[in-house]
Amino acid sequence: MTRLAPLAGSVAAVTIATLLVWALEPVAPNLSLGVLYVFAVLPVAVFCGIRWSLPVAIASMLAFNFFFLPPTHTFSLRDSTNWFALAAYSVTAVVVSELAASSRRRAQLAEQREREATFLAEIARELLAGAEPEGIERRVTEVLGRPRPQIESGIRALIDVASDRRRLEEEALQAETFRRADIVKTALLRAVSHDLRSPLTSITTAIGALRNDELVFTDADRRELLDTIAVDSERLARLVADLLDLSRLEAGSADPEPEVWSLDELVNDVVADLGLSERVEVAGASPFVNVDPVQVQRVLANLFENAVKFSPPGAHVHANITATRKEAIVRVVDQGPGLPEDQLERVFEPFYRGPDRAGAGLGLAIARGFAAANGGRVWAESRPGQGATFALALPVVEARVELPA
Amino acid sequence: MTDAAGQRILVVDDEPQILRALGTTLRGAGYTVDTAATAESALAAAAAHPPAGVILDLVLPDGSGTDVCRELRSWSDAPVIVLSAVGEEKEKIAALDAGADDYVMKPFSVDELLARLRAVLRRTASEAGPVIEAGGLRIDVADRLVSRDGERIKLTPHEFGLLRVLAQNPGKLLTHRMLLREVWGPSYADEAHYLHVYVSHLRAKIERDPAHPELIVTEPGAGYRFVDPATS
Repeated sequence: MTRLAPLAGSVAAVTIATLLVWALEPVAPNLSLGVLYVFAVLPVAVFCGIRWSLPVAIASMLAFNFFFLPPTHTFSLRDSTNWFALAAYSVTAVVVSELAASSRRRAQLAEQREREATFLAEIARELLAGAEPEGIERRVTEVLGRPRPQIESGIRALIDVASDRRRLEEEALQAETFRRADIVKTALLRAVSHDLRSPLTSITTAIGALRNDELVFTDADRRELLDTIAVDSERLARLVADLLDLSRLEAGSADPEPEVWSLDELVNDVVADLGLSERVEVAGASPFVNVDPVQVQRVLANLFENAVKFSPPGAHVHANITATRKEAIVRVVDQGPGLPEDQLERVFEPFYRGPDRAGAGLGLAIARGFAAANGGRVWAESRPGQGATFALALPVVEARVELPA
Repeated sequence: MTDAAGQRILVVDDEPQILRALGTTLRGAGYTVDTAATAESALAAAAAHPPAGVILDLVLPDGSGTDVCRELRSWSDAPVIVLSAVGEEKEKIAALDAGADDYVMKPFSVDELLARLRAVLRRTASEAGPVIEAGGLRIDVADRLVSRDGERIKLTPHEFGLLRVLAQNPGKLLTHRMLLREVWGPSYADEAHYLHVYVSHLRAKIERDPAHPELIVTEPGAGYRFVDPATS
């Protein structure tokens, strides 16, 4: 369709010019009317180029000769003046058409240049703003179409700069990540070495004292030193076990072995194991959960120990079990000082210790880790002065699963 | 071992178990023991019952052992032994600069702690006089004369100043900063290389075997200590 447009345009131009000459023939000498054919050649030259304007010029002269110059309706000429005029018109038409075509080419080129310049500016802006170099490259091919070595090398340089900057940014980011990880690691190492060293110091002190024959001890002193050794050895063992659990959880290798259990049974079991039956009151529903009982009891034990630790001596701790269709929730409610809002999340960070700095600060981090490994979650709710609530939510399963026919 | 004779020792540590074990141990060695778990209670205890010596943990919940040391030094001469740990080297030096007399590293041996405690307590008991004698070395502080086995030793003013400061604090660990400040002046406090050079010159003149010094002992990373070979 578009390929036929120049042809149709050319034919139309020659026809219109011919009709115009024919219409004006009665009022003007037909020889001077030949100049009207320039109006046929000009638009064709401008819109379709010299490839079409040259044939149009020739066709115009032939039509002029055929229709208007005597002898009409032949391609021969009687008058030598007419030969001259026809030749002049032909040359004029060709020159004009060439001029028009070349100015059009220049206009097109200028347009193209402007488009490219705009495009380059746009790309430069986008690259500086951090766009993906890969996408830009694809668009360059699309916009430029044919290969343009000069422009392409310019764009390539831009893209290289952008890629370099990107790489540097990534490297800086990575370095920063490493640096932060290093700070965290150093802090952890400090905390761990302090926590390991304290019990070790009291143990070695007590042993050194007992082995020193020159020191004079009563039986009570001796028993106290032995107690110190026993208590702190246990503390060390517990700390080492906690650290192993934590590293296992952080490596994502808790490997729970799920079984279906009634949650209240797990809770009551833990309370009895910890010897806290007198202080913890368990109440509520009996939903079924499909979890690793050892790991979930570990979570519960850490929550209960925490609650007891922060409650006034003898104060009761409540364990309320509720169930929705999706989740079973144990809420462990203590009567301690509670937690300010900014600590509700921080208490779950490894080695985070409250203002009293009791313990190694691992219990809640481990509780959260094992809860997550069993598809559950642990969180804290509290208002200062009103005690704290630590909740464990686990996915509920249908009781039928546990009782096959 | 029975020379403790009920001397009062203040033990400061935030770990109750360490306090218990140390307290029992020191009582077994014949000392009277006070304990404190915080910087504030430590200073209060020291004010209420002035101790003969203090054993001080560097890390306390309400402040650093260094601060306690500095505060204590402003009104008490009781010798202080700092309980330090790996990773607390800077704090340890700061505490020594603030006036602590010595340190032991956690976990420490009981025997070593008791020996250091005896040493610092003995030092405060015997004020250094105008003439100091140690391992054949005789230092006449007033007349600025030094001799070894009766033979005169010529020292430069800085060498003599260094020896005087060390010998007047027998057994006490003196940090690089303390020595530089005492001998060369406050503006030299960070010029540790001066000190190392002068110590080696001094050792060449006063030690029997400068390669194995007996009188001026190096405490790596901390400072120097003057020791009387007869009493250590």
